[in-house]
Amino acid sequence: MKHHLTEKEIIEYQFKLASEIQMKEAAGHIEGCGQCRGNLEKLQRKYAALDLLGEKEEISEDLISRVTEQAGRPVLKKIAWFKRPVWMSSAAAVLVVGLVLVATQVSKDGAKQREVAKQSMPAADKMELRSSPSIAPMTEMEATSKPEITQARTVQKNGKSRKATLAMAPKEKAADTYDAKGKASDEVISEQPPFAPASAIELVTLPRRDKVQLTIYNSADITLVRERRNLTMKKGWNWLQFMWANTLIDPTSLSLEPLEQADKIDIEQLVFPARLRELGRWLIHSEVSGQVPFEITYFTSGISWRAFYMGTLSQNEKTMQLQGYVRVANNSGEDYEEAETRLIVGNVHILYEIAQLAQRQYPYNRPISLHGMGGRGGFMGEGMLKGQELGEDSYLFLNGDTDRLGAVLDEKFSRKEIRKEGLSEYFLYTIEGPETIPNQWGKRLLSFDVEDIEIESLYKYDEQRWGNQTIRFVKFANDEEHNLGQTPIPNGDVKIYGKADSDGFLSYVGGTNIKYIPVDEEVELNLGPARLVKVEPKLMDFKTDNYMFDRRGNVAGWDEIRTWKIEIINTRELPIEIEITRGFNTAYWTIQSDAAYEKYDATHARFNLNPEPKSKQTFEYTVTTYHGMREGVLGEKN
Amino acid sequence: MESTDKSLVEAHCKGDPKAFGELVRRYGDGLLGYLTRMSRNRHEAEDLFQETFKRVHEKAHTFRGSQFKSWLFTIATYVAIDGMRRRKGIRMVSLNQKLDCTERDSEELSAIALADDSHEPLREAAKAEQVQQVRDAVMSLPSRQRATLVLAYYQQLSYPEVAKVLGCSLGTVKTQMFRALKTLGQKLPDVQG
Repeated sequence: MKHHLTEKEIIEYQFKLASEIQMKEAAGHIEGCGQCRGNLEKLQRKYAALDLLGEKEEISEDLISRVTEQAGRPVLKKIAWFKRPVWMSSAAAVLVVGLVLVATQVSKDGAKQREVAKQSMPAADKMELRSSPSIAPMTEMEATSKPEITQARTVQKNGKSRKATLAMAPKEKAADTYDAKGKASDEVISEQPPFAPASAIELVTLPRRDKVQLTIYNSADITLVRERRNLTMKKGWNWLQFMWANTLIDPTSLSLEPLEQADKIDIEQLVFPARLRELGRWLIHSEVSGQVPFEITYFTSGISWRAFYMGTLSQNEKTMQLQGYVRVANNSGEDYEEAETRLIVGNVHILYEIAQLAQRQYPYNRPISLHGMGGRGGFMGEGMLKGQELGEDSYLFLNGDTDRLGAVLDEKFSRKEIRKEGLSEYFLYTIEGPETIPNQWGKRLLSFDVEDIEIESLYKYDEQRWGNQTIRFVKFANDEEHNLGQTPIPNGDVKIYGKADSDGFLSYVGGTNIKYIPVDEEVELNLGPARLVKVEPKLMDFKTDNYMFDRRGNVAGWDEIRTWKIEIINTRELPIEIEITRGFNTAYWTIQSDAAYEKYDATHARFNLNPEPKSKQTFEYTVTTYHGMREGVLGEKN
Repeated sequence: MESTDKSLVEAHCKGDPKAFGELVRRYGDGLLGYLTRMSRNRHEAEDLFQETFKRVHEKAHTFRGSQFKSWLFTIATYVAIDGMRRRKGIRMVSLNQKLDCTERDSEELSAIALADDSHEPLREAAKAEQVQQVRDAVMSLPSRQRATLVLAYYQQLSYPEVAKVLGCSLGTVKTQMFRALKTLGQKLPDVQG
């Protein structure tokens, strides 16, 4: 081989894709050609990356046992009815063509029917069909295809005997009324619960969500969802499937309770079938057939709310209009239509992040056996909420007071009122009427709108806190005197605007974040640095005095005397109130001033002044600080 | 004396419960390695693994005594390609993970972190990224090319054996292998230094 190897030839050589003769020729060439040898080494380095995936996989004993167990099952053999003659292919083709023509006609009719049905379908049904988590009951009778009863046994449960059949029920129409009278004693239900069906083919109906209530906490990423759905039960064992794929629902918090016929319906188990992710199946034993309302409760993550406020100062800055808003955002992966929404202020103690629980492959990190998972009042009974440590008051509240559920406002599009109620450590806001909060949507609701809140504009100057800037504050109280005081005001951002002129044009004054304001509590809103009010302190004199010496003649105490001149420049057209705080870095000080002051704390003095509009005001003070042994002298004076 | 594959298959067909387990143990590691590289992660590979042996169980009576390994890998290839086709449109991405980070990544990252006592986070992260790049590159190959590459390079089957597994000619295998390598040449990360 006289020419250099091409890239193709080098690859073929390296991976032995070439013929034996070509391989020999290439090897001979590479041996004598440095350039091709270099190219080969370069190629080897490039493909060395493939070895990163070269780790050996080891099969686990668990997988071996699963596979061998699978092999222990009998093979379902297809039944060959008869040998297929050659002419059957032609006949089948003709038949297929005929069926296609018929099907085309039928599908046209069907499309029309679906169109009609779609128009008449209630909105909630449409919602349910495309939403997840989805719920679908399926009966064990339909899940299996065993044709007839083989055995009947009496079941002892809850202290009473229960009988039903394991007969494959004929296809029943969904009954709207219960069918429990007397019939229960005529039939025998198998004692053994059926094995969880592995496939979802047998799903019968998708019950719509009738009511839903959201209780959203703002201190933690947690929302309690209570749904009411009418499920069509069949007498005997029923499987109810709950899927939470692509949502942030905490599967460990799932709870199901019948709202009616509770004595005839037992929630036996909640199983999480192996290899079927993000779904759980409830095994329900029912002595009635027909529609039964159920309440499903769970926690979800991804729904949040926050409060924020807009304040508008009057032109003379004596009063303010304050509007409070609540913004509810839904990123839970689930649409909540016509939901009763409650907002909780207060800290809750949660054991796990709901979002983490929602992402687990299995709710409890591994598939769970059929037994010991639930039943009424068991693992997911009423104790669930206690387990989440919401606090007793919250627990009581969340488990009662359902009267408001479904209170649909006639004036659907009118402004929603947000009602507030005390809840001991917590505070509850209820958005009046149902709200639809689709996934990925946020919704802003007006919480309150109060006018003529008397306010005080206050400026503060404190070098140790804010440097040489004057900071503006607006001060008011959350009490009746200020037209507030009905409820605490939750944390949130506040933006304050001022009326710039008599036409009502607004100018942005400043913004801040407020902490939770209890009723009758004062609040100061920090609006940031003020540009029109300046404070300029100047050190006019400094001296030391009154030295004290120890036995060796070393300085052991002295006084420092400083004279400060403070100039306040108010360029505003309004009189202002300003609070100037001076720090001395020691608790041993005395002050002499031509302006009034107060001792704010051990190391600070505070001056309160009211400069006139467009004015300069100055005052002086002399502060003496005592050091070393001189501190004791001040103590004796006091 | 160690039983032959054929005798184990025959024993399984006659109802010997241990025979099938022996076959699983004999070829399990290799097959799982193959399926792991053919799929996106270990979980998917285990599903394919179970499905493969399920089909082996169902079709055991049709095995005619040729090489069991080739037969097994042929079934696995069809199962894997079929599985890939079905799962193509429904990839789930965990909201708690990086969008481009599969479950396998975190396992690998943990494994690297555990194995490497030097505690060099940057190096570990870089290596994990390279592993992911290689995985992505391999996964980007058409399924037949991927199967050829994995069987020939990682499972170290000879090209004639690969041809037998894939049911095609030796020339086709070499062509597929060359195309796979050519594509990978543009996508593989530089791991030197």
